[in-house]
Amino acid sequence: MNTVLLLALISTVILVLVSVSVLFMRSYKNSLISNASTNSQRTISQVSNTVNEYLDSIDIDMETLCASLEDPSIDREEFFNVFLNIRPDVVAVSTYDASGNLVNCYSLLGDVRVPLDENTSFDSAKMDMYTDGYISAPHVVSLFEGEYPWVITMTSPLNVEGECWIALDISCTNISSYINDVGIGQRGYCFLLDSDGNIVYHPQQQLIYSDLKSENIELIASLHDGTHVEENVIYSIETLNGSHWRVVGVSFVQELITDSLWELGRIIIFVGLLILIVMAVISFILSKVVSRPIRTFAEEMEQFEQNTADFTYEPVGGVREVRILSESFGHMVKKLQDLMGTIKDEQQNLRKTELRALQAQINPHFLYNTLDSISWMTERGKKDEVVEMVNALATLFRISISKGHELIPIRNEIQHAESYLQIQSYRYKNQFSYEFNVEEDCLDYLCNKITLQPIIENAIYHGINGLVDGGRITITVKSQDDNIVMTVEDNGNGMTDEQIETIMNKDRSDKTGIGIKNVNDRLKIYFGNEYGITIHSELDEGTKVIILMPKVKEASEYEK
Amino acid sequence: MRSKKILGVLLITASILLSSCSYLGVQNESKYNVWFIAKSQGSEFWNSAFAGANAAKTEYNIDLHITGPETEEQYDRQNNMIDQAVRDGADAIIFSAISYSENAAAIDAAADAGVKIIVIDSDVDSDKVDVRIGTDNVQAGRMTGNAVLDTDDDEICVGIVNFALGTRNGQEREEGLREVLEADPRVTGIYKVNVEATPEAAGIGVQLLLNDHPEIDVLVGLNEMLAVGTARAVDNMNLSDSIRVVGFDTNVECVEFMRHGVVSALIAQNPYAMGYLGVEYAWKVLQGEHFDNDVWIDTSTTIITRKNMFSQESQQALFSFG
Repeated sequence: MNTVLLLALISTVILVLVSVSVLFMRSYKNSLISNASTNSQRTISQVSNTVNEYLDSIDIDMETLCASLEDPSIDREEFFNVFLNIRPDVVAVSTYDASGNLVNCYSLLGDVRVPLDENTSFDSAKMDMYTDGYISAPHVVSLFEGEYPWVITMTSPLNVEGECWIALDISCTNISSYINDVGIGQRGYCFLLDSDGNIVYHPQQQLIYSDLKSENIELIASLHDGTHVEENVIYSIETLNGSHWRVVGVSFVQELITDSLWELGRIIIFVGLLILIVMAVISFILSKVVSRPIRTFAEEMEQFEQNTADFTYEPVGGVREVRILSESFGHMVKKLQDLMGTIKDEQQNLRKTELRALQAQINPHFLYNTLDSISWMTERGKKDEVVEMVNALATLFRISISKGHELIPIRNEIQHAESYLQIQSYRYKNQFSYEFNVEEDCLDYLCNKITLQPIIENAIYHGINGLVDGGRITITVKSQDDNIVMTVEDNGNGMTDEQIETIMNKDRSDKTGIGIKNVNDRLKIYFGNEYGITIHSELDEGTKVIILMPKVKEASEYEK
Repeated sequence: MRSKKILGVLLITASILLSSCSYLGVQNESKYNVWFIAKSQGSEFWNSAFAGANAAKTEYNIDLHITGPETEEQYDRQNNMIDQAVRDGADAIIFSAISYSENAAAIDAAADAGVKIIVIDSDVDSDKVDVRIGTDNVQAGRMTGNAVLDTDDDEICVGIVNFALGTRNGQEREEGLREVLEADPRVTGIYKVNVEATPEAAGIGVQLLLNDHPEIDVLVGLNEMLAVGTARAVDNMNLSDSIRVVGFDTNVECVEFMRHGVVSALIAQNPYAMGYLGVEYAWKVLQGEHFDNDVWIDTSTTIITRKNMFSQESQQALFSFG
């Protein structure tokens, strides 16, 4: 848990948050748009229903007016006085003859000006096209002096002598009340468009007239009824029944999205903050229960590496796993230290043993006893025997030394034993006889030097010495599976179990030459605990010493 | 050590996020207080401008105080109003100067007090104005000139009825007008009076001009009230056959005179847009936007003649909706 890792973690969290929010925003935007479209569509339907009803009511008014005008019994002045007062949205009612000349005009705004230079309320050309009637685009009424209200004109055929058309100038006040307060979203609105692309009524008509605002009429005119999303603007369009007017709803995707975006951004930042705080707490805890103990642990290990022997280990705390690790390490430390102690002891033992083997090579007692014998033989003139003795002694010493090698061929070891027995048989005046049974193919394997001699020595001193009859020593070497088995058998006095125990476990007290224990120790140190010496002995029957060792061809395998 | 560093990084990140959170949370709920000081009240021009300002006021959610002196001579009243607006804690003043020079000190003082200044229609001699919105008056003057010259007559003698010498837009209009007239060889004379911006004063001005220069056959009234007064005077004297009137703005009386053949052309400004844009730009400036105060934000100008007066475009320019 270092700073780089932390930064990586933070950026990952932020990356995930951002990508999730982008994905979310996309689907959110789509759902918002479809939602807004539905809303818009619904609002437009309501508006178009209302406007339809209004137009229907005007149609009914128109029928009433036509009927009244066609009825000669009705006093027109009185009728219109009432009608115009109860319908303030009707600015003027005028009638026209077949050639489009104004015949009558009824209005609360006063009398028609004379001369009437211009009449925007009636267009003969249009009437030729729309024989059933027509609703005009918005215009000002030009019939009166000093009054120019904006109206739309609804024209219908009239069946009266001299009056072919009736035109109603209707102000937009009623329509405006249906449309002005319609809101779609925050800034959305709706307006009325006719099929020629004229805006019939717009809540911000004056802004449009003042060039401060414009609608994309061309685009809207090309759209069919329904909802369309065009560059962040949602247009909902519905054509009014039986009319060429269309209700257009305009709402803005941007405002919906940006508002929600801010909201979402705030939520994301809040969540990110929360995550960071949680991360802070977690990293604090982690560092307390994991990182710090592990760091201490690592430091301890380093110390252990540098000073293995004198290291004392203090277990660390933390989470269970760390504790287990720590305890295991504690055990390991202990075991390693024990092992090191053992190895040290073994090394020391080996050195001692080897030193003793070295000492044995020049056992002075044996040497001067032998020299004594040689001297004595020389006095007696036993020239040939002296030569044999001296040769045997030379061989013995040569093999004992063996250029300092510990492992020597069995052939040499046998020679060594033979030389020794030769010398001893002179000394003991042929009190015993000896015999070698050696398998030829064992001769080239290696064995520890001075393995047989101490055992033969033991057989002579403890077995044969003092026997009245001739003693006999048999030395056998044979191969048995992967091992070499050497046996030294005698027919001497035999040993008690206590004697065997003593021989196997105690160094020789006279400190001259090598003991059986030394041989056994060397075998075990060199080849392992399964090898070594076993002694079978019965009193007055004899002793059998068995030496077990592996077949060794290369000294290098063991001498390291 | 290290865990402290980690903790530090986390805390810093957290505090950055926290501050951005609180930044997001802050929303400006208070309304801007904007004053609209016109040159006068009661003319159709200013009523239309007020209507535009009111429309924008709703849209931008602004507290709007509309005021102005009774006549277009009282620049000292305007100065008092500016002071009052500053005392009232106005955030911005939408201002149309009666006097280019005499209103300057008050506007400078207001600007120094931190009030944003939006000039509409008529300029003031201050470089502390934030935005200027209105008719390109020199261009409008040229349009007037072209309307004057729109005749088959071989000789044209022009009488100009202009308002106070100190008012900037009147001078600019006259400048544009003279530029066009002086370039035409048919123009035999250009005579001018400066009068108070009322129909009555304009009538007297017309009489003075005609007394001195009976050969005048075109009279130009350079604002709404002067146009009304000039047309009235010509109509009263039954001179409509011999004298054409070219006027400014869209007073309904002038429209009637046009239908009766007294007024031959009207230069229709867009006061509604001036009012609307005045408030809109006040809002923008208060939001921190910056504009080049040397460049006028031009509101459209339309020339209306007897022939085109009932075209859809002219209707929209002449008659306000609803």
